[in-house]
Amino acid sequence: MTLQDLAQPRQDYSYAFMDAYAKRELRRRMLKAIAIPGYQVPYASRELPIARGWGTGGLQVTLSLVGPESVVKVIDQGADDSVNAANLRRFITRMSGSQTTTDTLKATLLQSRHRIPEEIMQEGQALVLQVPDPEPLRGVTSDISKAHQLHADSDYGQMWLLLYEQLVRYRQYIQGASYPSLVNGRYIISPSPIPRWDTPKLHQSAHLTLLSAGREKRLYAVPPYTDVYPLEFSDVPFQVENQRGWVCKTTGVQNKFMNELPQEDGTSQYELSDSGYAEKLMNTGETSSPYYDDQGNFYHAGYLKPPVLPTL
Amino acid sequence: MYVAVRGGEDAIQHAEQFYHAMAGKLTPQNIQLIQEQLPYLLDKVMGEGSLYAPELAALALAQTGGDLYEAVLLLRAYRSTQPRIAYAAPATADKVLTVRRISAAFKDIPGGQVLGPTLDYSHRLLRLDILDGLAEDNEATAPQAELPAPSTYPAVADWQRSQGLLPPIEANQIDPVMIPDVTTDAVLFPAPRAHRLQALARADTGGVLALGYASMRGYGLIHPTVNELRLGYAEVELKHPVTGEAFSAGRVRVSQAEVISSGGDSGKAGYQLGFAATLGWNEVKLIAASTLDMEMNNREPHPAHTEEFVMYHTEPVESSGFCIHFKLPHYVTFASSMDSVRKVISTFYSGDQPPQQELETIRQVQP
Repeated sequence: MTLQDLAQPRQDYSYAFMDAYAKRELRRRMLKAIAIPGYQVPYASRELPIARGWGTGGLQVTLSLVGPESVVKVIDQGADDSVNAANLRRFITRMSGSQTTTDTLKATLLQSRHRIPEEIMQEGQALVLQVPDPEPLRGVTSDISKAHQLHADSDYGQMWLLLYEQLVRYRQYIQGASYPSLVNGRYIISPSPIPRWDTPKLHQSAHLTLLSAGREKRLYAVPPYTDVYPLEFSDVPFQVENQRGWVCKTTGVQNKFMNELPQEDGTSQYELSDSGYAEKLMNTGETSSPYYDDQGNFYHAGYLKPPVLPTL
Repeated sequence: MYVAVRGGEDAIQHAEQFYHAMAGKLTPQNIQLIQEQLPYLLDKVMGEGSLYAPELAALALAQTGGDLYEAVLLLRAYRSTQPRIAYAAPATADKVLTVRRISAAFKDIPGGQVLGPTLDYSHRLLRLDILDGLAEDNEATAPQAELPAPSTYPAVADWQRSQGLLPPIEANQIDPVMIPDVTTDAVLFPAPRAHRLQALARADTGGVLALGYASMRGYGLIHPTVNELRLGYAEVELKHPVTGEAFSAGRVRVSQAEVISSGGDSGKAGYQLGFAATLGWNEVKLIAASTLDMEMNNREPHPAHTEEFVMYHTEPVESSGFCIHFKLPHYVTFASSMDSVRKVISTFYSGDQPPQQELETIRQVQP
């Protein structure tokens, strides 16, 4: 027997890249975030071998949760084969030996930039959203310390004023993605920049959602079965993107979130944003229940209401 | 194990191979050449990467074809996984083996002005003759002094303290484990002074210069006078884990700057100091950073000189990473915003009628 026989094989990096202390910190912060839904928990945020601002917040969460038995799905703008999604998936599997999938329902850990898939996620699944800017109050104050104070006091008057001003000027809310939403009746969050189409999917969801901003060093969570409501006045309901009549050019489906593809003749074609869902439709035609049915009805009946144009 | 779609994966692998094919070849000799020829570049990368490792810095520069932000990120990403095995004793100015140390505040200072190695008074002329092979780089080296210069010098600020011009330092003994660490702590504001100085030490040279220059040009409250600027070598003094004896594990190039100004808006009589130090020799960064340190102490600094503003916006890895992330596809968020814009247009202008008057620009709060 030689010393070499006894020694562990050389490893240039820790399992899943981050050292145990960093993972421990992340896990503790996640527990805190889950315990206080919607509260932004500061964390140290380690540098990763991926450029900052390219999903390093989500990646740190994923790397602290992933194990060899995990099945990981990574999407960017809804697509599994987008170059950035491919790169993150390659890194996660290289460092953890986890399996990968494009099937939303088979994933134990789903890291996403800017989308929640179309099929209803289940208990036991974790959705990790990459967040560029965790602060929903950024539009009313760019100062993090002031925003922190406003959250502490539940002082969200300026957010309501912002919405009111939009109604006065444009007769509707003009927020695009990342629509500010109230979690568990307490904290307003910026739901990463997912489109408004995806925001209702956070409400009373069976899965856990973790939102993490690596550059801004904050993470927050929407635990399973938690109320999430977009900010709306009672007489002017929140609206998702209006894509009625948009038909996917490959699958023929409607009432799922679409990418609009401008054509040379000035018209547009449409295709499903959720590439894993499209793949299922093309392969077997079998999918599990989506959040929005073929008529565009959301699965929590009554949550979304028809549009109202206020007269002001 | 089954693997998800591969289209994007092939593309990114080919793109990386293309990049490397267009850059120089990675060989141990080339990397060593970078290490020997470009010490100031190495210093900049090591300072911002907050990892003193000339060999690794040279490798990082070679691997990235000299893209500074990429090189800094390589060092940072490597560093973030390394265990902290020991804490070195504090390196104080009067113990640093000093090769250059000047003060603009006095004609002469205790220990003397030491010009040391500098290009400050060089004529910035390109040596085209060397490029054309007409001459060799054989400029006379400086003649040797009769007596060796002292290796250490007292701190200028100590003289001012003895004169009561500066408040005394409250030196408190602290267990190094307890020193706040910006790389492993969550950052909150107001930040502990340790966080601030660490952030400045790691800060982007260009970013610190831009904000510091804005202060100097007139947006700040102060006119910095360089009280002391020092380049030297600090001993990395450790305690032997078994015997407890102090020993030097090596020397690192360090630099520090102090700027001095009277009063500021603190309402106190006398002078105040701004301070910054970093691994490697980087004078321009430190003069700007120490100016910013003093600005941040003011009660109401310019909005671009508050602690939060400076610390967030001079972080090289974060600022460069976020800037280049805009290359990533954003078509989902753009679709969402286009939906809002279309709704507003259809509310105010019906049918195919072009807008009669320009619609007020729709300003969205977030992307």
